[in-house]
Amino acid sequence: MFRGCKQFRKRKDDKMKKSISFVLATLMASSTILAACGTANTSAPASAAAPAAEPAEDASSGSDGAGGGSELVWWGWTPGSPLNEQYIAEFNKEFPNTKITWKQTTVDDYDAAIKPALANGEGVDIFEVSAGSANGGVGIFGGQAINMEEALKGYLGDDYADKLNEASLKSMTVDGELKALGVGTVYAGNLWINQDLFDEYNVKVPTNFDEWKSACDTFKENGIIGFVQGAGQGAFNMDTYHAICDNIQPGLFTKATRGEAEWTDPVFVQALDLWKKLFDEGIMQDGALGIQQYPEANNMFLSGQAAMVMMGSWYTMNCLPDTMRANMEAASSTDEPFAMVPINFPDIAGTGNVGYVFCDIDYATAVAKDAADVQAATDFALWLGASEAGQQMIADSLNLVPVLKSVSPNWDKVVLTNPEKQNKPVQEYLTNAMANPDNPRFGGISADLNQAMMDVLAGVASGTLSSADGAARLAEVE
Amino acid sequence: MNKKLSIRNNGMVWIAPAFLFLLIIIYYSIFYTFNLSTMDWDGLSPTMKRIGADNYTKMFADKVFWKAIRNTIVYFVITFVIQNFLGFVFAAILHSDVKLPTVHKCIIFIPTILAPATMAPVFRLMFSPQGMLQKFFNTVHIPITVDWLSKPQTALYVLMAIVVWEFTGMSFILYYAAMSQIDKEMLEAAQIDGAGNIRILITMIFPLCKGTTVSLAMLGVIGALKTFDIPYLITTGGPDHATEFLGTYIYRQGIRQSHLGYAAALSVMLLVMAVVGAFLTNKANKGE
Amino acid sequence: MLRVRSRKNKILLQCLLILMTIPYLLPLLQMFLGSLGGRGLYNYAAVWNTGVVPTYFRNSIIISAGVILIVYVLSMTAGFGFAKLNILGKETFFWLILVALTLPEVILLTPLFVTFQKLHLFSTFFSVIFPLAALQLPFTILLIRNYDQGIPNELMEAARIDGATTAQAFRHVILPLTRPIGSAVTMLTLINSWNSYLLPLLFLQKPSMQTVTLLPQYFQGEFTNDQTKILAAAVLTAIPEIIAYLCMQKNFERGMSAGALK
Repeated sequence: MFRGCKQFRKRKDDKMKKSISFVLATLMASSTILAACGTANTSAPASAAAPAAEPAEDASSGSDGAGGGSELVWWGWTPGSPLNEQYIAEFNKEFPNTKITWKQTTVDDYDAAIKPALANGEGVDIFEVSAGSANGGVGIFGGQAINMEEALKGYLGDDYADKLNEASLKSMTVDGELKALGVGTVYAGNLWINQDLFDEYNVKVPTNFDEWKSACDTFKENGIIGFVQGAGQGAFNMDTYHAICDNIQPGLFTKATRGEAEWTDPVFVQALDLWKKLFDEGIMQDGALGIQQYPEANNMFLSGQAAMVMMGSWYTMNCLPDTMRANMEAASSTDEPFAMVPINFPDIAGTGNVGYVFCDIDYATAVAKDAADVQAATDFALWLGASEAGQQMIADSLNLVPVLKSVSPNWDKVVLTNPEKQNKPVQEYLTNAMANPDNPRFGGISADLNQAMMDVLAGVASGTLSSADGAARLAEVE
Repeated sequence: MNKKLSIRNNGMVWIAPAFLFLLIIIYYSIFYTFNLSTMDWDGLSPTMKRIGADNYTKMFADKVFWKAIRNTIVYFVITFVIQNFLGFVFAAILHSDVKLPTVHKCIIFIPTILAPATMAPVFRLMFSPQGMLQKFFNTVHIPITVDWLSKPQTALYVLMAIVVWEFTGMSFILYYAAMSQIDKEMLEAAQIDGAGNIRILITMIFPLCKGTTVSLAMLGVIGALKTFDIPYLITTGGPDHATEFLGTYIYRQGIRQSHLGYAAALSVMLLVMAVVGAFLTNKANKGE
Repeated sequence: MLRVRSRKNKILLQCLLILMTIPYLLPLLQMFLGSLGGRGLYNYAAVWNTGVVPTYFRNSIIISAGVILIVYVLSMTAGFGFAKLNILGKETFFWLILVALTLPEVILLTPLFVTFQKLHLFSTFFSVIFPLAALQLPFTILLIRNYDQGIPNELMEAARIDGATTAQAFRHVILPLTRPIGSAVTMLTLINSWNSYLLPLLFLQKPSMQTVTLLPQYFQGEFTNDQTKILAAAVLTAIPEIIAYLCMQKNFERGMSAGALK
């Protein structure tokens, strides 16, 4: 303690006192001012750039008149603001008295964030769930949701099951109760290509391993990445692996998830070998394991830096010029939208089994048991998942394939970026996808198997795990 | 004199508010976690199953757990050395006669202020194979591929670089503070005797900053065990658990996969190691 | 500290410093430039147009102010007690407080959730303020204790001879002298509470209660991930902290020098 008295007296500095009180005072003062701003802002009309950001304003003013509206919070991770607010605005055209606020989290944070909220029983009225072990698994969160079956019956009639996508009902049924209403399905197992780049460099659209590799090589010579995958994000690796498995022997992957086949089956080892080969032979771009599918791989494809990407039916929305332009801007690209086209996963095993895709309900809407107004919340879930109006809106966004069978995209109204190049392949793709046999994407995969598979795929790809050991590790999961 | 003073005062009143606050929040949580570590619970179901020490046996057989421990050790040793070396050198230079010291100080310290949640996307961009670094290497024609985050062998080192970037400011400020307490005349005397700068730094200044170094070591051990944000936000513990830490593994097990009992057992283990680590560094300091 | 006489060596030292500082600047530049990608300043407009920026800022300010208040008061009194007063079993208490320093946030999540729910504190600002303050306290108590130990006992004694009680001595002698460390504590606490991510994410459920660190969530949907706007949000989030640091920089440094860990 060599510091003396003198030093301390010197430090007794009025300036310092002022500056601390200044900071504290500023904190307090600005908190009050901002509090005022905050309130002011919520009642101000939404600005032009986010037309639907505060859609519930009309609703609340309407409810004042009707005197009995309810306020609900809708939790989810998809499709993302401002689309959700637009959905709410559409809903409010029919139900002006219900004010719904959208609360978005990232895919990764969803489970962690909603679990305490549901357990607490407050602040969640409507929430998104998905099938299986992906985020928001209905098996985990369904316990906090009401049974929607009666409501659905009342809405669509006793033959409701015939009117809706079978998987949507099946995958959302837990212990005999329908816990959520599917909104739309996604399909995966195909590639998307930048047709303009293929045309420009005169590259053949790949149908097998050699063509795929040579396409990648050609693009590489021209300074473009052939195929891009964000292999740091496990879920998309599982899509690729599933596609390889279906290429070798269709349906076996699904059987294994149901315990009807062994993960040690030679098919799965061979599929791991092929997965590894994608990295060894340079089909996967350099550093694939270090990037995420979103944002990196997505951005590379949308900004024209990469010519092929492993994405599913949700990518169809990028065929709409406006959606694509917005997503390209997000990828820091100011170019004009290009013609992107879906293609089958190349026949890399040489078996001739192509065109298989797998599907899940992308998300479904559940109503919390403790919802502030169960009836109003149910109205919303029904409108979004079972009404012609709601489902047509979903269909036309090309984000999801609607679950209500009577609805399909209104191709007269929906105009793609390049109708000449895109209309035929996109429509064929969606038709083929809907005709595919029962083959869930993540729907049948438990959380533990999910984790194990992501680990195994990363391990095999990086060379720290052999294919045989990898398959054995999958088999270890109960 | 001090003693006489204190007898008249009951100092307990002064520490009681802080202590009770910590007791209610921290010690309660520790106790709760310990209890939970003997349970099997998914966090939502109304029933918990008591399973004794099963979570602990499972933990010691868990390869990922050991990998996390190994990563923590490697991470601590390397970041500790580099970060404090840089902090020390910055402090020495900025105590000397250089231009624009405030600008440099701010640039070094601002990373410490910024949220890891804020910086994670920036680093993902920088270290992506299409990122700023790669572009730089391409421009100057150095044949290096920036795919380090994708390889289990290198991902951890990238995270360490990021952590060093973030926390050099802290080491710097503490060394800078310690150096301002050093008697300038003593140094001048040595300089007049002909001792060079480097020699003075090593043989005089560094030993005088020993207290700071030990404190930084203690904070470093605790910090390394607590590591969560950066690996969670940048690599989510991958590829293939190469950047798994206890913090990220607890989160993965407890929050993502709903094995709350197992996560609690990992938490208890983490606490024990942190306390032992802090105790040992402190002891090492006093022992000398 | 270093003695550099010749002009050449001076320039060399300056160059060394600049070379060492550049790597610290680059990520900041990348953040700023990245936030201007795509449509440039429009990204900032887009962040603002979410309509939630003022609310989120207000919430972060409420939380930070609350945490700073609790930490400031409790660590000032406790630091003083540990440094200057006699307490039975002082060492033990001090160690118990230091043990709390080792606790990571992630361990608190489950126990606190269960507790706050029972106390009806869940999804109130307190559910974030209390744990953040508790996590910050051990370190600030340590800092203030070390600082207070450096205050000569004679000053305390002089006050006492004048007939001051302990509380008066604390108010009139200790508090005025501890402004620099107070400023360091304020700064460190501000950093940690402003930057907190997990606790607000998990414990503040109402959309109207979100904090600035959750702003990027707006641009990260399942099938969208808008880097440019995420970075713009990041820059906006960082600005208040940087301003606070620049305002307090001098005092912060002084506080750290006197309270430096040892």
